Amino acid sequence: MLKKFEYIKAKSFEEAVDLLSHYGDKAKLIAGGTDVMVAIKQGKITPEVLISIKNISEGSYIKVSEEELKIGAITTHRELEKNPHIQKLGALIDAVRQLGSVQIRNVATIGGNICNAAPSADTVPPLLVHDARLTIKGHNGLKTFPIEEFFLGPGKTVLSSDEVLTEIIIPLPRMSSASAYWKHSRRKGMDLAIIGVALWIDVIFEDVEKLKAVKNGEIEEQFEALERSAIYCKDVRLALGVAAPKPIRTHKAEEFLKGQRLSRRTLTEFGAIAASEAQPRDTFRGEAWYRREMIKVLPARLCLLCIYRLLDSFGGEA
Amino acid sequence: MKKRISFKLNGEDIQLEVEPYWTLLYTIREVLGLIGTKEGCGMGECGACTVIVDRKAVVSCIYPVLEVEGKEVWTIEGLNVGIEGGLHPIQRAFIEKGAVQCGFCTPGMIMSAKALLDENLDPTEEEIRDAICGNLCRCTGYVQIIKAIKEASRILKGV
Amino acid sequence: MQEWQELKTVGKPVPKRDAIYKVTGTATYIHDIKLPGMLYGKILWSSIPHARILNIDVSRAKRLPGVKAVLTGYDVPEIRFGFYKDNMPLKKGKVVTRRDEVAAVAAIDPEIAEEAISLIKVDYEPLPAVFDPLEAMQEGAPLIHEEHGTNVLKLPWKLEVGDLEEAKRKSAHIVSDRFETSWVTHCCMGTTGCIASFDPSGNLILYSPTQIPYLAQREFKEALKFLGLGDKNVRIIQPYIGGGFGSKLDTYPYEYIAILLAWYTKKPVKITFTREEEFRYTSPRQKVIIDITQGCDKDGKLTFREVHMILDNGGRTSWGATTPSVMMMPISSLYKVPVVKYTAICVYTNNTYCQAMRGYGNPQATFAIECSMDQLAEAAGIDPLEFRLINANEPGEVTPQGFRVSSCALRECLEEVGKRLQWKEKRGRRNGRGVGVAALIHVGGGARVYRSDACGTIIKIDDFGRCFVFSGATDIGQGADTVIAQVVAEELGLPVEKVTVIMNDTDVCPWDVGVHASRTTFIACHSALGAARKIKKQILEVAALSLGVEAADLTIKDEVIYSKTNPSKKIELEKVLRSAHFRTQGMMFMAEHFYDPDTEMLDKKFQGNFSEAYAYGAHGVEVKVDPDTGQVEVLRYVAVHDVGKAINPMLLEGQIYGGVMMGLGYALTEEMKFERGDLKNPNFLDYKILTAKDVPPIEVVLLEPYEPKGPFGAKGIGEPGCVPTAPAIANAIYDAVGIRVKQLPITPEKVLKELLKQKA
Repeated sequence: MLKKFEYIKAKSFEEAVDLLSHYGDKAKLIAGGTDVMVAIKQGKITPEVLISIKNISEGSYIKVSEEELKIGAITTHRELEKNPHIQKLGALIDAVRQLGSVQIRNVATIGGNICNAAPSADTVPPLLVHDARLTIKGHNGLKTFPIEEFFLGPGKTVLSSDEVLTEIIIPLPRMSSASAYWKHSRRKGMDLAIIGVALWIDVIFEDVEKLKAVKNGEIEEQFEALERSAIYCKDVRLALGVAAPKPIRTHKAEEFLKGQRLSRRTLTEFGAIAASEAQPRDTFRGEAWYRREMIKVLPARLCLLCIYRLLDSFGGEA
Repeated sequence: MKKRISFKLNGEDIQLEVEPYWTLLYTIREVLGLIGTKEGCGMGECGACTVIVDRKAVVSCIYPVLEVEGKEVWTIEGLNVGIEGGLHPIQRAFIEKGAVQCGFCTPGMIMSAKALLDENLDPTEEEIRDAICGNLCRCTGYVQIIKAIKEASRILKGV
Repeated sequence: MQEWQELKTVGKPVPKRDAIYKVTGTATYIHDIKLPGMLYGKILWSSIPHARILNIDVSRAKRLPGVKAVLTGYDVPEIRFGFYKDNMPLKKGKVVTRRDEVAAVAAIDPEIAEEAISLIKVDYEPLPAVFDPLEAMQEGAPLIHEEHGTNVLKLPWKLEVGDLEEAKRKSAHIVSDRFETSWVTHCCMGTTGCIASFDPSGNLILYSPTQIPYLAQREFKEALKFLGLGDKNVRIIQPYIGGGFGSKLDTYPYEYIAILLAWYTKKPVKITFTREEEFRYTSPRQKVIIDITQGCDKDGKLTFREVHMILDNGGRTSWGATTPSVMMMPISSLYKVPVVKYTAICVYTNNTYCQAMRGYGNPQATFAIECSMDQLAEAAGIDPLEFRLINANEPGEVTPQGFRVSSCALRECLEEVGKRLQWKEKRGRRNGRGVGVAALIHVGGGARVYRSDACGTIIKIDDFGRCFVFSGATDIGQGADTVIAQVVAEELGLPVEKVTVIMNDTDVCPWDVGVHASRTTFIACHSALGAARKIKKQILEVAALSLGVEAADLTIKDEVIYSKTNPSKKIELEKVLRSAHFRTQGMMFMAEHFYDPDTEMLDKKFQGNFSEAYAYGAHGVEVKVDPDTGQVEVLRYVAVHDVGKAINPMLLEGQIYGGVMMGLGYALTEEMKFERGDLKNPNFLDYKILTAKDVPPIEVVLLEPYEPKGPFGAKGIGEPGCVPTAPAIANAIYDAVGIRVKQLPITPEKVLKELLKQKA
């Protein structure tokens, strides 16, 4: 059934900010609409005015420079999926590929996914492990926030009612690093994560022959091969979704793994520490004990995935 | 307050006065009387309302109608307009391969298939499944739908 | 058989006749129908699972402009319906589930109707509620229906054949366990709804996607008596139906509400459910707690099967409470089991209430039976596939319930599964990969669950050789419109395109008991064939006069009537058809046939051959279980079905693919999550039916042992596809990692829990 609202199309972020100021509590920003329209239909929000930023042409872009990648907040997930520059950001690609369905990705924007601030937002853990910064426009101009400081709780961000996310800035990752995102869900498509895990890792290879040999083998075989290889973690970032009131980085786990040789022992410990940093809940969507178990188990698998991605990108040369 | 919008619908120019809170689905079904596009859930979760806007498949039940201003919209009714033989190859393939049972998901499913094949004439099975994973079907188990889309791709490549 | 080589349409993958309307968006479903002056109805349901209704204030709703009627249980006659007569359209006195309808509104548009609903204020006095049937059975539990004096329904579900104690004594191995199934729901892509409209004389027309047009017609006629309209007609028109799966096998309160609103407003009233309403307020699959004990002798022959079930009946009663009558079927007749004892009790709770869903209890019972068979095989030290072959049913058997099994290819189905799954190589590795098998029996030749299992057909043929078949059957997407056309086309030597099946109007079409029990191909095709043969006789008699031969010498092929002995003597069918009435003393070609199978209702002891044929099958699955996450991946699925004869192999396979995917959801991902009667996942995001990305490789094999009682040898297939899926998977998981999950769905959490227990 149709709930009533006014719909105003902002032609620039400037105008969006002005409109937000003007309408205050009565207004809500809408980009693709896949979250906002559903929330309105469910009666969860009742805005009198929707301020659409979907058509701000300067808001949708993917720009690469020497140091960083800049993504306009209005860029759709589908545009990201198809963009060659994003391929470097394995975790982000994984996330956008598994988000919703093609129909949703065609209109839903990365800015919307971030600002909706669901603990299960798929793009956020990847952005966390890539140390993304967010550019926010308000009355006083632009400011930048590290993404880790952007979320306050489920559905809550630092954005005040007259501020708009305009851009996501991601430092280009080192050549010796790779990232991956695992959406642990019940179905293979059109699903919410029971738990989401993103990993970025920078490694030093010394011996990877055995790993290369079992690239298409079972996970057990790959762990065996890892034991007999020599791969060291130079730097690592791990982020979790649906493991706390907001997506989080697990700094203690990261500190532990830095400098360590990757082995079953170190990776198990890595997962265990990460699990201790999380506060998963019992919800009708999933049980806390299971989420905790998955936090223990999945980071190690993501490490393997990242290592294989690196091996692929180097064409096998370390 | 109603606003006037102009857009292209199934190849024709349309001008319409719409309420700002109407969805594209509501406009198509209730205002324009095109009942081929279905409402399966109203929340963008089932794909029955899929139409094509500017060559992209979208779920029209959560698509604000004001956003079609200046855009090109295709619904199931537009698929076989002007086609020799009266049916689009995708429609023919769906009929021939048993991809239709109760038929409620069918228009949305076909539009997702059309959007896919318009972009990629030779999709792999993986790509087909990805394209229709947002279209739920309870009757067919998807197998014959995937076969039909492969068949349609075969026909379209040969044309 | 010589005949088969000559079949022109039967046995062919004829495309579904109405697919062209569906692919062009021209098929009209209930949602698409508008009548002049139509109002929109909306219902207020109870927000409390168990409470006394103290007061309903509808004053603000009535005053809202655009509202034409507001009704509560206190404004309308108390029309009791449902087979236990504990349901009525609008409730008064008390509510016993969150599904109880408390008020209804009719307004000029859906938005106003919804607003009016929000303006209705109900004062409840909450009563202690009970959500567990085991609790509800106890002394002192809150009574759902005080007038009954108990929460246990008075139902006769008990089957006893043979001496159980003796059978137990004779058993070398006995296993016993408890299995539990969950609430899952149909998820038809088209939500339910109806339009009720009275003509100026007070006759009712109901547009409804019902699966029981004639039975519903009877129920509504009863209801009309309460309005003083007992002598009026009830006409049910079925639009295209957006999915059935059993969801529309009973009448619903909302249908009576639409009728009442239409009567009070004197305007057509449409009620359609939103998806959330569909999840919350339609009746799901019956939830069951199953205790099963089975035994076998030292050679692996089954000695007995003892099953006790507790059914959560919810607050009101629909067909869920009768599922035991069908669950008896696999209990008594899946495999050769000489001694059977079965009891089932249905217990009122304040939960939702259940009705028919594809399989009608068979998936639930088969889950327990087939898991238990694997356990028993293990106890006896016999390979599970071998164990099943030892006990496989055979053609000609009479089972403990008195079913006369004619065709039966169960043995061949099991062997085929074994072959295709590479059973011998893959079984028993316990390395995270495993194979499992489960078989099924279902009715394949109708089911006399009502006094009648009949279907009527009227057939006419026009001057151009276009044949119109008026059938009482219903197409819910399964292909009734096509297979009926095929058998008639075959019989009359017509191309199938010239046969049109009309079956959606009770004023026009003859009687049929309904689309359930996988009966339509068998019964409706027999009925259509009977009529076709009669009309063929009429045609050939006229042609015989024309050709100067005996009618018995003639046949029709490709729209030409030939003499069998002298094929040069022929005449075009169209000529004969026109000649019949373009003359004096003309005649028309028309015939009818009422087909009622030669079966019996189950007697008081639940004995009787209630179907003319029984369908068998076996499913095999290979799974990979992730030991650290508990996730189960289906690597391969093999579905082998004994179908007698595939009248339309393409549509038949479609039923199996659909059934398997529904069964996989039932086994692994689907579950209605209730908290004190409140549904937490009334949407497709959180109620997880499987998507196109979840389809595993599925191999469908059709075995056609030719059922002599079936039309062209065919048996039913609508339901079997989803019957053995859950146990096949459970059994494969056991083979893979040695743990067994006994409550559906088999989620990663449950698997991991068992695996962690196993490690400890």
